[in-house]
Amino acid sequence: MEHTSDTKIEHKPHKHLRTDALPVNPLKAKVVLVGNPNVGKSVVFNYLSGLYVDVSNFPGTTVEVSKAAYLHYDLYDTPGIYGVSSFNDEERVARDIILNGDVILNIVDAVHLERDLFLTQQLIDMGKRVGLIVNMLDEARRQTISVDLKRLEEEMGIPVIGTVAVKKQGLEEIHQLVSRACEGRQNKALHAELHEMLAVVGSQAEALMVLEGDGIVAARHGIAPADHSRREEIYIDRRNRVNRILQSAITDVQTGRRVASVLGRWSVSPIFGFPILALVLYALYYFVGVFVAQDVVEFTEGRIGREIVEFNIKASVAQHAATTVDVDVFNYAGDVLENRSFRFDNGLSADPVLWNEVRKFADGESAEFMFNYDNVWLVLFFGEFGAITMTLTYLVFLLLPLVLGFYFALSVLEDSGYLPRLATLVDRFLRVIGLNGRAVIPIILGFGCVTMATITTRLLGTQREKTIATTILQLAIPCSAQLGVIAALLATAGAAATLIYTFVILSFLISVGTVMNRSLPGETSPLLIDLPMMRLPQLNNVIKKTSYKTWFFMKEASPWFFIGALTVGILQVTNALEHIMDAMEPLVVQWLQLPREAATAFVMGLVRRDFGAAGLYQLNLDPFQTVAALVTITLFVPCVASLMVMLKERGIKEGALIWVGSLVLAMTVGGLVSQILI
Amino acid sequence: MTLNTLTKGMRGRIDRLPTGDIRSQFIRLGLVEGAVVFCLEKLPGGTIVLEFSRQEVALSGDLARSITITQP
Ligand SMILES: Nc1nc2c(ncn2[C@@H]2O[C@H](COP(=O)(O)OP(=O)(O)OP(=O)(O)O)[C@@H](O)[C@H]2O)c(=O)[nH]1
Ligand SMILES: [Mg+2]
Repeated sequence: MEHTSDTKIEHKPHKHLRTDALPVNPLKAKVVLVGNPNVGKSVVFNYLSGLYVDVSNFPGTTVEVSKAAYLHYDLYDTPGIYGVSSFNDEERVARDIILNGDVILNIVDAVHLERDLFLTQQLIDMGKRVGLIVNMLDEARRQTISVDLKRLEEEMGIPVIGTVAVKKQGLEEIHQLVSRACEGRQNKALHAELHEMLAVVGSQAEALMVLEGDGIVAARHGIAPADHSRREEIYIDRRNRVNRILQSAITDVQTGRRVASVLGRWSVSPIFGFPILALVLYALYYFVGVFVAQDVVEFTEGRIGREIVEFNIKASVAQHAATTVDVDVFNYAGDVLENRSFRFDNGLSADPVLWNEVRKFADGESAEFMFNYDNVWLVLFFGEFGAITMTLTYLVFLLLPLVLGFYFALSVLEDSGYLPRLATLVDRFLRVIGLNGRAVIPIILGFGCVTMATITTRLLGTQREKTIATTILQLAIPCSAQLGVIAALLATAGAAATLIYTFVILSFLISVGTVMNRSLPGETSPLLIDLPMMRLPQLNNVIKKTSYKTWFFMKEASPWFFIGALTVGILQVTNALEHIMDAMEPLVVQWLQLPREAATAFVMGLVRRDFGAAGLYQLNLDPFQTVAALVTITLFVPCVASLMVMLKERGIKEGALIWVGSLVLAMTVGGLVSQILI
Repeated sequence: MTLNTLTKGMRGRIDRLPTGDIRSQFIRLGLVEGAVVFCLEKLPGGTIVLEFSRQEVALSGDLARSITITQP
């Protein structure tokens, strides 16, 4: 099949059915930015969109869609894709927006036209109105590549402009481009074939999807997709056409290989790659693990969250409710110096004298207030584990800074072009546990917050990989809240304990992954990843990404944290918590060889992973007991929020299986460690 | 000869790509039968970094093993 020469198939003159249906409101036509990953879509989007941006869909790395008002249009930014199909989530999301779009602005990277114009030609073959933005002309100039825009325009039959988006060069022409966008030059035979399908399939664009074997689009019309070989034919033909166009449209003065950035090369080299990785991880640890998790959170959670916000909420609730106020006064080392109970039969407001005494007792010292309400409902919502107070402090003052810090670091890494190189570097190792290099992103995020990471497993290619990654996250990756406590406990327990703990967790992680890799049906999807140029990240892009990813995480996860806290609150007021602890006692005392109170720590770990570990502080465990307890608590149930998110992402059956599995494995492994060591 | 036998600094011409979805993905990237690739890096474990038409692409060892090449 040839695009340009005449074809055998007769294509009678015909009236075009509207392939791109007129928008209901022509003033609200949908303009969609489409392009390969990292070509500058978001930079253009930020330039075109005003202040109001509406980000929808998935957090994680790139599966998000932003919508904004641009002139009198609705403007959409889509995730980067190499073509319109449904090989992964990004593509499925982008495909549907493209199918619904009225005008497509296709952004391509002038340096990688061979790769990028494939998508352009596909959009043209869909019969869409397309305008082409050839971006990164500065980069092309630097590499002595010159692109003949006029020639491209003639060959492809669509309007073309050239830009340097980061320097805002040429962007003012986009306005014109939108109105000039039109249907481009299509393969006549293919076009005729698509038209014949119009009776069954709504539009030419959808007909092309069906012909290219897209099962999802085909199913929407109740038909079967064409088979693989048809898609390959179309693809090869399209590829050849693109290569032919480029022969005349690109002049590349320097033909040989060119020296790309040294850093980019080094970061995938067997010699420098791992030291660079170590450096990156250390910087990440220092920024998130030390600076945010310790310094920032201590201030936000301790000072603002607990001492100001939570205290004031609880005190105002207690104004008119019968309450006993317990006050602990601490010395500098954190030991309780004094403890007093104050009884308010008719609420704080009824007895200002006594309340004054309370304030005086705690004055100038570091003190902790406990408001024990008589009313069960108040206990449930505002008490020690009050669903409202605890969720608020936890979410806003502990998790929010952590998640912000993590997403900031991730966005910097993403925009610098390091992430795909990291995926390349670790691919071989992750393959052992049935994952491919891309899974490194959720795993790193897991050290921040397992709930956040569990949502991010959506990025992975297959169900099998999602299952393995979720299991590993939930079982063997301690989150930052928990890591802090673990590190502190291990510091007291000594080097031997730290080594044993690390060894046990690591070998457990590898064993679980290996077993799942061997036993789950299917295969790990192979790594095939494009390594973009290393660039200095742009601060405003990074800030934008960080804020909308964080916003999405909070929006998606917050209700689960609330439900989690509420569940534990109910267990507490109904005394079920006591029963659970009693039931666990023999297991804890005989099998794990820990004090009885450790059971409390384990159950509290359900609410917040760090509560669990923190509960171990007071038990004065010896080093080996510490190891056993920490192993158990690391492998033990993740917090309720991550459990809820897992149930949602993986389904009730699989989620429950992983959950029960983690309980059993935590007890088994923790017990074995204890029996061997002690 | 398969792609995974290339070592750093060697060139090869793609002779045969594997079938299925992955084949379509290669075609989109511009890696078609007849294309000449240059091996930029080879990592322990077989992951390979290729350069062709001004882009860098990494693929896992298993995938490289499923592609046959000839001398360019
Ligand atoms: N040198 C140069 N860099 C650019 C240009 N346009 C964008 N960039 C850089 O390219 C990188 C990617 O830009 P983005 O706008 O995030 O790309 P994107 O297409 O939205 O990427 P995804 O959303 O991941 O698909 C950023 O680091 C930009 O600063 C340009 O014209 N010249
Ligand atoms: Mg983007």
